[in-house]
Amino acid sequence: MIPLSYNVRSLLVRKTTTVATALGIGLVVFVLASAFMLGTGITKTMVGAGNSSNAIVLRKGSDTEMASSLEVSTLGMIGAAPGVKRSSAGTSLLSGEIVIVIAQDKLGTQGQVSNVLVRGVPPTALEVRPEVHVVAGHPPRPGTDEVMIGKGLRGKYAGMDLEQSFDLKKNRPLKVVGVFESGGSSFESEVWCDVDTARSSFGRDGLVSSVTVRLDSPSKFDAFKATMESDKRLGLEALTEPAYYEKQSSGTSLFIKIMGGVIVFFLSGGAMIGALITMLAAVSQRQREVGTLRALGFSRFSILTSFLLESAVLSLAGGLLGIACALCMSFVKLSMMNFATWQEVTFSFDPNPAVLVGSLVFGGFMGIVGGFYPALRAASVSPIEAMRD
Amino acid sequence: MGLVTIAVRNVWRNKLRTVLTLSAVTVLVIFFLLLRTVIWSWTASAEQGARDRIGTRHKVSFIMQLPRRYVEEMRSIPGIKQVAHASWFGAKDPNHTDDFFGTIAVEPKEFLEVYDEIKLPKDQFETWQQDRQGAIVGDVLAKKRGWKLGQKIVLQGTIYPGNWEYHISGIYTANSPTVDRSTLYFQYKYLDESRPQRLQDQVGWVMARVDDPGRAAEIAKAVDKKFEDRDIQTLSMSERALQASFLGMVSAILRLIDVVSVVMVLIMGLILGNTIAMGVRERTHEYGVLRAIGFLPKHIVMFILSEGLVLGMLGGIIGLAIGYPFVQKGMGPAMEENLGAFFAFFRVTPELVVTSFFLAAALGLIAAIIPARNAAKLEVVSALRRVG
Repeated sequence: MIPLSYNVRSLLVRKTTTVATALGIGLVVFVLASAFMLGTGITKTMVGAGNSSNAIVLRKGSDTEMASSLEVSTLGMIGAAPGVKRSSAGTSLLSGEIVIVIAQDKLGTQGQVSNVLVRGVPPTALEVRPEVHVVAGHPPRPGTDEVMIGKGLRGKYAGMDLEQSFDLKKNRPLKVVGVFESGGSSFESEVWCDVDTARSSFGRDGLVSSVTVRLDSPSKFDAFKATMESDKRLGLEALTEPAYYEKQSSGTSLFIKIMGGVIVFFLSGGAMIGALITMLAAVSQRQREVGTLRALGFSRFSILTSFLLESAVLSLAGGLLGIACALCMSFVKLSMMNFATWQEVTFSFDPNPAVLVGSLVFGGFMGIVGGFYPALRAASVSPIEAMRD
Repeated sequence: MGLVTIAVRNVWRNKLRTVLTLSAVTVLVIFFLLLRTVIWSWTASAEQGARDRIGTRHKVSFIMQLPRRYVEEMRSIPGIKQVAHASWFGAKDPNHTDDFFGTIAVEPKEFLEVYDEIKLPKDQFETWQQDRQGAIVGDVLAKKRGWKLGQKIVLQGTIYPGNWEYHISGIYTANSPTVDRSTLYFQYKYLDESRPQRLQDQVGWVMARVDDPGRAAEIAKAVDKKFEDRDIQTLSMSERALQASFLGMVSAILRLIDVVSVVMVLIMGLILGNTIAMGVRERTHEYGVLRAIGFLPKHIVMFILSEGLVLGMLGGIIGLAIGYPFVQKGMGPAMEENLGAFFAFFRVTPELVVTSFFLAAALGLIAAIIPARNAAKLEVVSALRRVG
């Protein structure tokens, strides 16, 4: 076996070429890792909003809460369905909500407006969604024009910060009294106000957009769903919360992943050829060395592995650099429109180990593919001819 | 022997390496074309949106509706020539539920007046106007679904539940690249008469044509002012400002694509630079000889720089020769058909072709600078001593 230090030293001799090739591969690994970090970040933010013990009821055929509307009179029937958890006071844990997106001036732009989701919720909403908790101020009091905002909105839109206010309707300012967080999920890009306030300002008398219930356990969902969908005249549809949010995010996250895939396909093609060029030059310049190694008794196989390893080391070095850069991306927050709801949601790059390791392995793989033909050439060097040159 | 001949011969000395380098550059040029076309196509609608149209919507939320009487009231505002309203419907083809296309309820005559870039044959227009359940679809959508004139189709409403039956009265085309040719427009009458009474006589948004494009912003303000004291206020913007707002929401993606374009140019530069540096290193001995017989460092620099330039230009030409038809003929129609809502017109602009070529050439030149300087700095004696 030829020691690895031989390869490392060989790489160091041609500094410029080594650095150029490793950088090329590093850039590809960086793009690959970032695209997948963003893809998982989006899924995590969106799907993270769902709790598997919760079910959401919508009008059948409507894909989003925004498009759905249910009569308030169905609330009683939904609350009485089997599997719905009851509070200590004996009331059903359900939250009939009104969801609408409003236009709000985006701070720091020249008068651009963007869409913010407003969710009108009853006081039970916080019991149904225990992952939501207030981090500053207090929750809005029922029956008032107070609201709390997700921490992702804070300071990004006109009027959206503690003690500030914004209009839902003319002369109907809503006062921000609290800021909440929910473990990074998309709720953090929403405004929560009292359901009656939302109903009267948006003219939705007697209606709710969706109903979310807390189940005794996730296993109770099938029975709950059967009850909801048994009466065809009501036209209800029940989904588990994770399934609902998965559906909401699939478009955006698929878009990012496909785009990332196409980008990486082209970039890695380029960078692999770069590695190929470098290794070919390395092999042809080291004909004599390879011949000597063969004469010393190293087998063709160990020459082949040695050059493959050299190429892998080269690309792994680049890959590590790429991952280091990609890790820095986890400090970057992006706000982007969710194609399903038109709502602007803040995402971050999620540095999960699987993506990082996967990208690094991909970098090494590029090196091995690019280095294979040169290594084969090196292994076929005839010792006598090489020494004669 | 001229400088160019030397450069070309040097490029061709290590054939395998040159072929590999050129193929890498080709792949990256194709990709560059693709990325820039994505950005162009996405922003084109904002830059090419009609200057003389303003849009008016509910001030609070785009999903809330305006009273229909606002449409008539807007006609009296000075500067407004024509007014048309539209309402988002939201429907799915029950056989292809994952496929998205827009469905919008309009008043046929007004709509085609305000959107005069949409072209519909006169007889089809008349059929549409007379048929309450008539609808027109873009040629891209019609082709994709295989819908024929006169065909009956049934769609499922997502906002207004139930099955809705339409008759294809016409197939429209457009003479502007910004029009989405995969939308279905149908009669407002049909929607309004079939929905619950409390939702009737409302419209989604209003588009108005103004007589002087220069005053579009001013007229938009006048519209909002007119409805300022009503229960429902409006938010009006020129069509361009509207598109810019939409772009603002996806600007993160646009910025990411920009970053990737830069990364790609860097990789291209690294590969070119690497190839040139290797060629120069292998020829160090020759440059020593050239210096020894009287060539000056500047000549060496010229040799190497023109080699880089030739390599870059070749890569650019080959990349464009393959990439242009690939994006224009292969990707373009596919994108327009499947993602028409985002990429109504997915084509390579002539400017992009020129930019890509010069970019590749410039990268070749820039990539040659460091190897050229190093070669020029070498002393004759040590260059001659170096063997490989």
